[in-house]
Amino acid sequence: MNLQFVVDGLLTGSMIGLGAIGVTLTYAILRFSNFAHGDFMAWGTYATLAVVGAIGAMVGKVAPIGPFSFGWPLLVALVVGCALTGLLALALDAVLFSRLRARGQSIIVVMASFGASMALRSLLEFVFTSRPTYFSRAIQIAMPVGFGIRITPDQVALLVLTAVLVAATHLLMTRTQTGRSMQAVSQNPALARVVGIDVARVVRATWLLGAALACVAGTMVGILVQIRPLMGFDMLLPMFAAAILGGIGSVPGAVLGGLIIGLAEAAAVQFVGAEWRAAVSFVILMAVLFVRPIGLFGVKER
Amino acid sequence: MSGPVLQVDGLVAGYEPGVPIVRGASIRVERGEIVVVLGPNGAGKSSFIKAIAGLVPVSAGKVLLDGTDITAVPAHRMVRMGLAFVPQTENIFPLMSVDDNLKTAGGILKAKEAVERIARMYDTFPDLRTFRRTAAGNLSGGQRQMLAVARALIVEPKLLVLDEPSAGLSPKLVAMVFSMLADIRKAGVTILLVEQNAKAALAIGDRAYVLVEGREAHEGVASELWNDPVVAELYLGQRAQPSRGGEA
Repeated sequence: MNLQFVVDGLLTGSMIGLGAIGVTLTYAILRFSNFAHGDFMAWGTYATLAVVGAIGAMVGKVAPIGPFSFGWPLLVALVVGCALTGLLALALDAVLFSRLRARGQSIIVVMASFGASMALRSLLEFVFTSRPTYFSRAIQIAMPVGFGIRITPDQVALLVLTAVLVAATHLLMTRTQTGRSMQAVSQNPALARVVGIDVARVVRATWLLGAALACVAGTMVGILVQIRPLMGFDMLLPMFAAAILGGIGSVPGAVLGGLIIGLAEAAAVQFVGAEWRAAVSFVILMAVLFVRPIGLFGVKER
Repeated sequence: MSGPVLQVDGLVAGYEPGVPIVRGASIRVERGEIVVVLGPNGAGKSSFIKAIAGLVPVSAGKVLLDGTDITAVPAHRMVRMGLAFVPQTENIFPLMSVDDNLKTAGGILKAKEAVERIARMYDTFPDLRTFRRTAAGNLSGGQRQMLAVARALIVEPKLLVLDEPSAGLSPKLVAMVFSMLADIRKAGVTILLVEQNAKAALAIGDRAYVLVEGREAHEGVASELWNDPVVAELYLGQRAQPSRGGEA
């Protein structure tokens, strides 16, 4: 048996999981399914790409760091890209979601996010065309690490980055006042106000966090696969599946859900056939929902 | 300052514009008092107290806390103004530990201050210390109420406002909750509460108001009110003409 699918699955799962954190937090705190979340990923990636280009235009060609395919400009660009994606989410909330949320019908907000998703995607196609592009065209040599598994330096770096970000997000949610406030709003927004939590501030924090992680996930896809305007939208269903599988509102759940789906997809490609890729993860999702409708880490509603 | 801790004048409030539930209610709470608001079902007691706490839109009237106008201050700023509210139900965060519930409420304090106050709450309510790592949703009804009150007291409010603290509790727990409130008052906290359970509330209260059809219909000393025929009549929901007896 070739265990290569484990690495592929973990990588796909990392990207899905990072994206799913934003989906699950938006759902738990703002109480709607944000279909534009995938497009935050794509916008974040293109923003990062644009900043890399801008830095390249200013300082010329920069040598990659050690064995990796990218140099410091990508790291700087990623931070800027996260900030820009956060601003995009805040702007979209200010002009669209917050107004509809005030009317109190979440299905309208969901539909609006669907519209926003299409608009954001079309704008990317308009500006950057739908032709795929890349952060780097350099080819990396995969290193054998035993058990027939090969892994590239970029892949190692991104798996480590995912682990660090997930741990940091979990600590933020459980150990800081901002995180506790986010939990409080997701459990009972009226009581959150009574104890002195500014719900508008919590909503902003949620958008910033979700959008920044979406930008990182998108950039990972960009580094390992390719950059396309549809890259985020194509990951929307796996991200939702991961968020539901893990239990809505749970950060570790979203990541674990992402890894399970990533691994299942990769295993399906290897053992069943590439055409079953999407099907297998949804069969798992349905199976889990039949057995445990609230998801792996979910908690029953009061 | 020597004025009343809370003064409410002609409060008109309701969820929808043009449909007031509270129709010109006025009350006053002096420093160190326990004041009880009673009334038949649908009298607007709960809306009245929520309007004071900034949770129901106010369309007319005034709410003064220690002389400061807090009418229509957003609910999340009320604790900073010195008014802590304990809702009737769902007054804890069920999935968070007892400790995190208290920390969440301490969010408006300096970190060091919050730690000290939480420690003091654990001294006052040893049960809560025992269950500090337990998810609050797993506490018993009485412990939940204790947590909700502790959470409100952490900010050392000028006024503690409670919406039916006895709701859904067994008679034994009702007695426990009311004796807890009596102790809290002894510690110097001013309390305003709305209650369905008139007998228990009047037993610890200093003064009481009877709210009928969205305005105060009667005011009196708590210990005398229980035997007051006017109150009995109002309280049974009979349509007596509201007499504005004790109002100055």
